[in-house]
Amino acid sequence: MRIMYVNNSGGGFADYVNINEGTNVEQFFKEKMPHSQPSDHLIRVNRQPVPRDYVLCENDRVTITPTKIDGALSI
Amino acid sequence: MENRKTIFKAADRVLYALSQLRRKRYLAALERLRSFIEQNGELGKEYRKLGLSLNRNWDSAAGSCCERICRLLNDISYATHNVKQVAEQPRKEIPKLSVIAGELGSLEDEFGNIKFDSNANTISVITEPISLDYISFGPFEIRLHIDKLSELYRDSPYYCIALAPNPAATDSGVTHPHVSGDKVCEGDGYDAIRAALEQGRLGDFFSLVRGILNTYNPDSPYVSLEEWEGIACYDCGYVSDRENMYFCPFCDHDVCDECSTYCRGCDESLCRGCAVECEICEEPFCQGCLTSCDKCGCVCCSGCMEDRLCLNCKEEQEQENKENENQQENQKQPDNKGQIKGQIETAQREQIRLTG
Repeated sequence: MRIMYVNNSGGGFADYVNINEGTNVEQFFKEKMPHSQPSDHLIRVNRQPVPRDYVLCENDRVTITPTKIDGALSI
Repeated sequence: MENRKTIFKAADRVLYALSQLRRKRYLAALERLRSFIEQNGELGKEYRKLGLSLNRNWDSAAGSCCERICRLLNDISYATHNVKQVAEQPRKEIPKLSVIAGELGSLEDEFGNIKFDSNANTISVITEPISLDYISFGPFEIRLHIDKLSELYRDSPYYCIALAPNPAATDSGVTHPHVSGDKVCEGDGYDAIRAALEQGRLGDFFSLVRGILNTYNPDSPYVSLEEWEGIACYDCGYVSDRENMYFCPFCDHDVCDECSTYCRGCDESLCRGCAVECEICEEPFCQGCLTSCDKCGCVCCSGCMEDRLCLNCKEEQEQENKENENQQENQKQPDNKGQIKGQIETAQREQIRLTG
């Protein structure tokens, strides 16, 4: 099934992706961000916080935003 | 925001600004294409001039035409790239009004309270109090200027205003290690912030900015956390920033301009406490540039030493040497007189004997 996936890490990614039915938020995060910790990110489904075992539905919008972003002095 | 009417009013303003942003890209493409067409026009003129020159056997003029043609072709190549750069950017869809309104509605859930200023055309959220390590910076207002969204790639359209500022001791304009003059240095967040704003994902935008405020990057702050309270001079306690402090390598402390000096021998900066005065010239030196006189033991610099003696002892020594030489001179002169007297007496006795 198709969901909208928005990843605000790096340059950002926003597009539709296909996932298996029954995939929950935790599984989806591990698949898309295998080297990251959920605790370092703001995870929202349809702009709302959800439990990690929330099962994703068709056309859901999943947004993953890092909570720690390095600012830097412009040179 | 008070009600749905206000939310949709704000969303409508954002939608208009984003459509203006897209329009600006098309205008940029138009401008670059105009430049490209003008240069092609110049190329056409050179074509006619070249034909005319050849008909009239003006070889020199034909040569000049070819030079100008080469320059124009280089310019056209650059102009082609310029137009293509803008024209081939993927078409960016503007979000629907309902999507933007949904974003604004969700901001209240995320940030507690958002404010839409209809006159100033701004949308603001207030963060929780921000703390990094042991320093508190208070809450910040992230204020998005909707009008400036159309200039997204030329100027930052938002400000971060400290509501209970705790600025750096050495610069009141720096209210956070990565905020100066109410402007955030986005660093790693630059692309994601621009993408979120362009796509109308206002919730993501405010969350990203808050993420920057909650993160300390020690590699490149305006003022580091270690120096947030300023650096105090070790000797007098005067507080300033690192640029106005001098490091003494002998005691490993920072001192201010008034409490620092430099060694007149090796030019090394050091604090006045570690500097030692030469006992002859009374200039400051580091310990490494001073030695003791072999005779009197006074500490002095190399400029005031000669043959391991200070200048005073050297002078004394020279005086002594001179006196010794004079004494030796005086002892030699009385022996000569005695010899002459003896010779005269001997001659007189001989004379008496002979005449006797």
